[in-house]
Amino acid sequence: MTAVICTKSLSRWYGNVLGLNDVSLDIEPGITGLLGPNGAGKSTFMKLVSGQMKPSSGRTSVFGERVWNNPPIFRRLGFCPEQDAFHEGVTGWEFVKGLLELQGFSSREAADRAVRALEFVEMISDKDRRIRSYSRGMRQRVKIAQSLAHDPDLLILDEPLNGLDPLGKRKIIRLIKDFPKAGRTVLVSSHVLPEIEAMTSRIVLIHQGRILAEGDIHYIRDLIEAHPHVISVECSDPRRLAGILVREEDIARLQFGADGRTVVFETHARDKVFSRLPRLFVENGIAVESITSPDDNLQSVFDYLVGK
Amino acid sequence: MATVRDKGYHHWDGRLEELRFPWWPVTRNGIRLSFQRKYFKFLVAFSYLPAFFFLAGIYISERLEDFRFMVRGSETFLAIDPKYFNTYFTADFVLFMLIMILVFAGAGLIADDMKHNALQLYFSRPLRKRDYLFGKAAVVFFFVLALTFVPGMILLFMKLVFSGSFALLVQYPWLPLSIVACSVLYAVVFASYTLLLSALSRNRRYVTILIFAVYLFSDILFGIFYGTFRNPHFGLLSLKANLQQAGAAIFGQSTPFAFPWLLSLLVLAGLCIVAVAVLSRRVREVEIVR
Amino acid sequence: MIRTFRSVFGFYLMLAVRAPRARAFALLTFLPAVLAVVFRLSFPARSVEVLGVFSDILVVFYLQFLLIILALFYGTSVCSEEIEGKTLAYLTTRPLSKSGIILGKTAAYALLSAAIVLISLAVSFFVMNAGRLSAGEAAGTYLRYGGVLLLGIAAYTAFFTFLGVLLRKAVIIGLAFGFGWESILQYFPGSTQRFSIAHYLKSLLPFTPKAQGFSLLTFRLEPTSDAMSLVALVLITGVFLALACLVFRFKEYISEE
Repeated sequence: MTAVICTKSLSRWYGNVLGLNDVSLDIEPGITGLLGPNGAGKSTFMKLVSGQMKPSSGRTSVFGERVWNNPPIFRRLGFCPEQDAFHEGVTGWEFVKGLLELQGFSSREAADRAVRALEFVEMISDKDRRIRSYSRGMRQRVKIAQSLAHDPDLLILDEPLNGLDPLGKRKIIRLIKDFPKAGRTVLVSSHVLPEIEAMTSRIVLIHQGRILAEGDIHYIRDLIEAHPHVISVECSDPRRLAGILVREEDIARLQFGADGRTVVFETHARDKVFSRLPRLFVENGIAVESITSPDDNLQSVFDYLVGK
Repeated sequence: MATVRDKGYHHWDGRLEELRFPWWPVTRNGIRLSFQRKYFKFLVAFSYLPAFFFLAGIYISERLEDFRFMVRGSETFLAIDPKYFNTYFTADFVLFMLIMILVFAGAGLIADDMKHNALQLYFSRPLRKRDYLFGKAAVVFFFVLALTFVPGMILLFMKLVFSGSFALLVQYPWLPLSIVACSVLYAVVFASYTLLLSALSRNRRYVTILIFAVYLFSDILFGIFYGTFRNPHFGLLSLKANLQQAGAAIFGQSTPFAFPWLLSLLVLAGLCIVAVAVLSRRVREVEIVR
Repeated sequence: MIRTFRSVFGFYLMLAVRAPRARAFALLTFLPAVLAVVFRLSFPARSVEVLGVFSDILVVFYLQFLLIILALFYGTSVCSEEIEGKTLAYLTTRPLSKSGIILGKTAAYALLSAAIVLISLAVSFFVMNAGRLSAGEAAGTYLRYGGVLLLGIAAYTAFFTFLGVLLRKAVIIGLAFGFGWESILQYFPGSTQRFSIAHYLKSLLPFTPKAQGFSLLTFRLEPTSDAMSLVALVLITGVFLALACLVFRFKEYISEE
């Protein structure tokens, strides 16, 4: 698949501060999550690939073209900035419509598209109120509406779920998941890990301006073989279970949970252990209350990679 | 054993006391932020230029014999009396530099807080509206007094030191009071003026232009009306003229314009009252959005 | 670029007209008209004073105060308001040429300023000169004054747009230029005066400096010919707009976060 966004040795510094450090990345059609803590370089990367900043070194291209000072490319690109900033004196509808007219649509088409976009983000009932009277979540939804109203092929969303309530987040997550139909691309950033997990399994981990890892969340996890997988079992007789598990050759380490009811153990062969566990419980009459894998999520992957 | 640096939460047995001057952190922060602006320190330093010239004048006045060749015919100019101090306080350049300092230090005092919705942050602390407004006003007081009261008292002190006697104070015992009164008048008027304009907009750039333009405009308006009708009472339209009129009266000098100085004081008081009224409306603890 | 210009022009003209500041500036700009009514009521029979008041006082007010204030605010706003308001991304992530953005916004703000000023000038001019000049004379003189103010708006707005694109603290420099440089230079002899925009505007005014007596507006003026003044003002407008477009095209604007 041809990459939509290509960056090669992309670096950007602000005075003496290194914002982005030698990032080489190819982003293909579909949804890609850019994940990192605050100050990791996510917004810097987004601004570079959306043409708002020039790289200090390296290069970036979108749809095979340079993006800095290349206005025609923005017919195919939609950007939702992180900042909560608007032309406050207009209504939500006027704002989206005005920006669509700047996009090149006629007044009538801009009006239709604005209505559709605002319907999509559930802002149609408030479209005629001034933006300064909107709540934070409403403003965020208008921002998202302006970014996708012109049906771009590439959508770049910088922290799009900021300020949204849980229902709003679910709606936008669903919208983002539906967007990449017919070969379109979404690049979405967040520092809230469950949000990224809910949208995509393809992630790029960024920290202190560097790419730590990229790919499928599970693939990344598998790569980290040095770090054993943690499994937690809550049962009625943890000590007996511990005695049984200690004899298994794939168990690397074992300890008891603070609650006294849990056995927490580490293994390098997660799949093998998971396949054997049910037989162990049944054969030994262990009544299991729960089995969890505390680090089988993005948080633990990230924590491990950033060295926490 | 390693030194324990973080001892975590401690239970504190002391009595919780409120800050005696709750406006002080607002003022301190405002002054600190002003000095962080590029070129502001240079502007403040440049504003002291007249003070240095007047100080040189005081020195020359005590050494008139040595400088006679330079100041021939200017002996009356170098007579150090209340008129000398009035000249400094009402000099066009000093008033203009005060305006420039207010443009830097005062334009964003309330405008920036309104723009960034910081009023809620202020009023979610035990801070009353008057503490907030006084704190902001005190930033202006600081800069105005730094350019009026401080140089005024230094000039007086240096005159006493150079002359080696208290003759000036014996002759004009009310002179220090005049310096204080004029400085306070300027501080209150400029604080009212600056905060009034700063509260009118969330755009600092617009307020910057307003501070400069209204001052200049009032003077131009006076010039236009006086030039046409030759009536000195039009001086009441000019902020600068009113300050100069009141200043001259405070120093016991003949006023530059032929109308009662009390009228100037009334106009300046009116400006302060309007400022208080507008600030009470504009600075709200709760933002009502329609 | 023409498409960009048109769409940016329309959008920002709408925003500018709606802004409360436009009403405040309109109020300020109408003060000369109010003054004109006051003066005219005060001088019903002394027509010489009437003409003198208009040309020596009110036009000074327009030329050396209002024009500069309006152009300074709107010219610096072209770029600064997008950076301060953090809305620049909405423009730079659209298929709009950067030159078109600058030209479109500048034109929108210049048009608004021009409309405000010309309406005010019309009222004050006709109040002051009604019954004194023939219709043809009045129209011609008004058009000349209007043309001078239009050229002034264009030149000052272009210059302040360039300042706003280039510098962060453009307003302070603009104030120093508008009320310092432009005022002081008129006292300099010879060709020095030609380094100010005000010189060319005054040279185009529809009256000559008084042989005797004092004229505030044309004090120490050594006028340049009409043709040269026109060319100079158009050149100033064109050059500073071109420079603004060039700088905006290549400069990065990073919001203070």
